[in-house]
Amino acid sequence: MTGPFLTRYVGRTAVVALSGEIDMQNSPLVRSELLRHLSDRADLVVDLSGVAYIDSSGIASLVEAFQTARRQGTRFSLAAVSPAALRVLQLARLDEVFLLHARLDDAVTPR
Amino acid sequence: MPSSSPRRRPASYHRQLDLIAEMSHAFASSHDLRETLVRGLRQVADFIEAEAAGFFLVDEITGELVCHACVGPVDITGLRLAPGQGIVGRVVAQNVATLVADARADPHFGALVDLRTGFVTRSILCAPLSVQGHCLGAIELINGAFRAGDRQLLRAIGASVALAVVNARLAKAMVEQERLARELELAAEIQRAMLPAHLPGDFPVQGINHPAREVSGDFFDILQRADGRVAFAIGDVAGKGIDAALLMAKTCSLFRFLAKTQDRPAALLSAINAELCETAGSRGTFVTMVAGLFDPVSGAVLLANAGHEPPLLHWDGLFTSYPAGAPPLGIDPGLVTPAMPETRIALGGGCLYLFTDGLTEAFGNGHRLGSGGVQRMISAAAGLPADRRLAAIVDRLAPTRDDLTALLVEDRRGPPLLRLELDAAPEALSEIRRRVAEAVLKGGGTPGVAADVVLAVGEAVQNVICHGYGGPGPLALEIRRDGGGPLTVHLTDCAPRLDLASLPERCSAELQPGGLGLHFMRSVMDQVTFLPAPVGCGNLLTMTKALP
Repeated sequence: MTGPFLTRYVGRTAVVALSGEIDMQNSPLVRSELLRHLSDRADLVVDLSGVAYIDSSGIASLVEAFQTARRQGTRFSLAAVSPAALRVLQLARLDEVFLLHARLDDAVTPR
Repeated sequence: MPSSSPRRRPASYHRQLDLIAEMSHAFASSHDLRETLVRGLRQVADFIEAEAAGFFLVDEITGELVCHACVGPVDITGLRLAPGQGIVGRVVAQNVATLVADARADPHFGALVDLRTGFVTRSILCAPLSVQGHCLGAIELINGAFRAGDRQLLRAIGASVALAVVNARLAKAMVEQERLARELELAAEIQRAMLPAHLPGDFPVQGINHPAREVSGDFFDILQRADGRVAFAIGDVAGKGIDAALLMAKTCSLFRFLAKTQDRPAALLSAINAELCETAGSRGTFVTMVAGLFDPVSGAVLLANAGHEPPLLHWDGLFTSYPAGAPPLGIDPGLVTPAMPETRIALGGGCLYLFTDGLTEAFGNGHRLGSGGVQRMISAAAGLPADRRLAAIVDRLAPTRDDLTALLVEDRRGPPLLRLELDAAPEALSEIRRRVAEAVLKGGGTPGVAADVVLAVGEAVQNVICHGYGGPGPLALEIRRDGGGPLTVHLTDCAPRLDLASLPERCSAELQPGGLGLHFMRSVMDQVTFLPAPVGCGNLLTMTKALP
């Protein structure tokens, strides 16, 4: 089963673009994809522009990735968060915890 | 017949007949038997020229002879003689008139009265009060120049007086019967007056009372409250007649007064209990009663049951019974308190039936109907409109010895925006979300509201799969919006009953399993409540969201 994501690398940064509906059925795939790149000690940008729906299990995957990155000192951010995903992040009050980039370019362009 | 009539010698046959006729007339027309007796005795004593006279009746319970009236120098009214005692006793026992010229020579003569009073009894003429061979008592004349003809005369008078006594007793019994009948009629009147006025046929709460021949204390009441909810009650007062009717009237009045403002049926029943115990507690009467509150918008009932027949929920062909949570009212103030259990029932399109034991105790095909029989009758009538359904059930049981009283609370909301019954599994989530979004938009919600409801339902279903069943399991989802009210979502599962205490509170433990999902549900919906499912096992989750 392929997950609802597409991953590419920009330099040492893995850009995982989630798409469609993220729920308990596919969030385990999202989780392992995020953790896989983190275990390679890559910086991680999760592109949420194509997310039409994300539930608590999807959010839990993001939180786990965020915690792992912070532990190992790699960078983790969310980019181009869709209104649907932003609503849920705000409900969880995680919009102030995660680093959010309005545009994907802002996230992957090294500063 | 003047009492100063000259001594009747030769005995005037006509005068004797006059005396008998006059006495009979006096007895028959008088309402005061004792006054008539004394007057009659005096006439007889004067006519036969006796010094004293007594009128004795057999006490129907003890068999004693009791003096009910007398004339003469000594008052022996109230004197009681054992059966067969004295010459009077012998007359009654043998039902034969007797003339004793020398009382003291008669072995039956009892000298007790003479000894006590100083009166000297010399001769006795005594005749039974005899009707159709049955002796009711005797008339006794004391001290006179009695002759054989006098015995015949007194016997005739005795027979006539006996008839009058029988008539008087019959009349008294009739008056008593009439009084009872009036009392029952009054009780029925009170009962009818306390029942609610006729409600429109489409009202969601309907009641019926079919009074028995004898009045009992069944009652019901239905009250439309200002807040849109409907308060209802059904009850049964132990006992019959005016006492039961008055107790019922009191209970009804208390309910009507309290139900307008009291939101807690347990507190309401407890208040009625306290009041009844204060005034009626000592008489051994009590009241079984269910009080409830129905919200037609949510289709939910909150009720408390004090010793009454368990209400039955008829839902999707199944029955659920809700037994009493406390003993009846009016026994002891401590038995029914505001802490008594309340039952919350989501009707979910079903119908709640409440009834008195007149229904369960009724007989069908020679067998006591019982709860099962009532269920069969409800099922058989299920196709009828609510008001005719109750009539159909009650009419089939009437006539019966007891009152038949029944009440129903029906969820009259229109068809839901969405009703899904499915096996909840992760693969089904996507389809559920699509259908929920459709339903919310159809119900007038904005896309933003639809997204919120989709999230809440998605989290709820996920919780059932993960924490309820620990895998896939059957689930019923219903979304409705009635009368421009809020959107309501009902989710029913068959998982083990949720331990409500274990649910995380808002804002805490958000990242624990289920905690974040629950937080989402509570954040996007106005109200989230978990209840035991209306039927059998499982849980019912109700979520509401107001639409602009």
